[in-house]
Amino acid sequence: MEKTIPATSKALVVSVALIYFFLYLPIFVVILFSFNNANYPYVWSGFTLKWYQELWYSVEVWDALQNSLIIASSSVILSLTMGVLVVWYGSQSILSRFVGMFYGTLAAPEVVLAVGLLTLFATLTVELGFISLIAAHTLLGLGYVVPMVHAAFHGLNKSLAEASLDLGATRHQTFFKIILPLLRPTLFAAGLLVFIVSLDDFLISFFCSGSSAQTLPMYIFSMIRSGSTPVVNALSTIMLLVSSLFVLSFSFLHVRRLGWRL
Amino acid sequence: MNILIRMRKAFAQEMPFFMALPAFVWQMLFLYIPLICVVALSFLHINQQFSLSSLTLSNYGMLHNPLLWAVIGRSLLLAFCAACTCALFAYPVAYYIALHTNRFKNICIFFLILPFWTNMLVQVYAWFFVLEKNGLINTLLLNMGFITEPIRFLNTAGAVYIVMVYCYLPFMAMPIYSILDRFDKRLIEASLDLGATPWRTFLHITLPLSYSGIRTGFFLVFVPAFGEFVIPVLMGGGKKMFVGSLISYYFLAALDTHRGAVFTVISALILLIVSLMLNKFLKWLINVFVGKGY
Repeated sequence: MEKTIPATSKALVVSVALIYFFLYLPIFVVILFSFNNANYPYVWSGFTLKWYQELWYSVEVWDALQNSLIIASSSVILSLTMGVLVVWYGSQSILSRFVGMFYGTLAAPEVVLAVGLLTLFATLTVELGFISLIAAHTLLGLGYVVPMVHAAFHGLNKSLAEASLDLGATRHQTFFKIILPLLRPTLFAAGLLVFIVSLDDFLISFFCSGSSAQTLPMYIFSMIRSGSTPVVNALSTIMLLVSSLFVLSFSFLHVRRLGWRL
Repeated sequence: MNILIRMRKAFAQEMPFFMALPAFVWQMLFLYIPLICVVALSFLHINQQFSLSSLTLSNYGMLHNPLLWAVIGRSLLLAFCAACTCALFAYPVAYYIALHTNRFKNICIFFLILPFWTNMLVQVYAWFFVLEKNGLINTLLLNMGFITEPIRFLNTAGAVYIVMVYCYLPFMAMPIYSILDRFDKRLIEASLDLGATPWRTFLHITLPLSYSGIRTGFFLVFVPAFGEFVIPVLMGGGKKMFVGSLISYYFLAALDTHRGAVFTVISALILLIVSLMLNKFLKWLINVFVGKGY
């Protein structure tokens, strides 16, 4: 493919390099200043790990992390279970015509979802907290799980399920013995995506969390607003590391499924 | 007894329906009913007792205020510019990864989508270090002698715009990449073999074929950018209102849910209309540029 567009190739390489530079310059600076030995974060004055130490002993971060993890894992479990049930059982009932409903979540701006949920919880006088956040994040999760699993399900060889049903297996048996194993990579990938979406979500948490359940992004937001300290840099660096682990495992799942080489 | 058995049989027959039902209920309850609630709220009469009261159009009287329209217009402009810039930046990257890399493809993709998986707040926070009064750019410019005193980047519309482009770039790059990666590269070779210049090949073969990726990416950027809350609040200092920040102001700070509901409904409607129009416009644009054959 080297000869595809020879004349512009050099300009292309330069512009791509510049865009990657644009993408990684701020991230690099954040990581650099997380090791900076000064309260005032914009001048370099020596290497230190004390901000990581401070982060480790901060009670609020651990609380926020715990809340975030509880909410993220509950919404992953809920949305995966409901999503896979919709795809398999829904395909055999009248509900299959309404699967389009699940594509609506991603089409609306997040702030509209947040306002809607807040209005609903206020109308039903549900106390804002874990319950409302899990409900909201599960909704977000369904918006990713159902389209992904639906696409994967329709990419499967139909005759496998038909053969299983023909040979006398019940729907449940077919689901557990045929469909679920075949969908496993997609389910892992979707679960990972929902987990990270839930961990990342700020706006809906900001609207629907009340005072009891502060999540990690909300904690970061309040830290940034009250003036940056290198502790936020340390936290950012760790979050970058964690998300690169997530991307690696996600792309590994996808790569294997699509038959690429890594 | 008989009835019970019949009911059980009926249930067994309709079992798929009941197994699929929870997700539908969830989706209805937490997406569609809330949206209806917001619309309903915008038509309710405001009264002091917070009891249910009569329907009214009086909440919509606030639309006479030109400031609201300025906010909506500003957000539309920002979202449109951000989406166009993202397309301009993301296309070369996606093109390069899809057509010009072999060994480093996966690494390039990894570094492209890593920011997407990273918390957006972290990305916004990172820009403070670049744009601050004594941040990276100002330090560089000062040291090189281009300026004598620091330029104020933070709390300007420009900062909001740059960070928005930065945060939404992966949303644009991934759809374009996935289209370019799949399409038949022999078409390019055929065009070049038959004597078309590289630019002509690009304009008449590659660009039209990747159009659907650009369109998907455009709306993946445009829609969330329109309602964005975090970036305007942190980067714009909350001085210039955008749709996201004004909605949250109504609901969380002013506690004026009726006006907030009106504003939400109106901006969502406008977003819908503008999106449909832009969709038509993009189609027209590609037709004009590429001419017949698409």
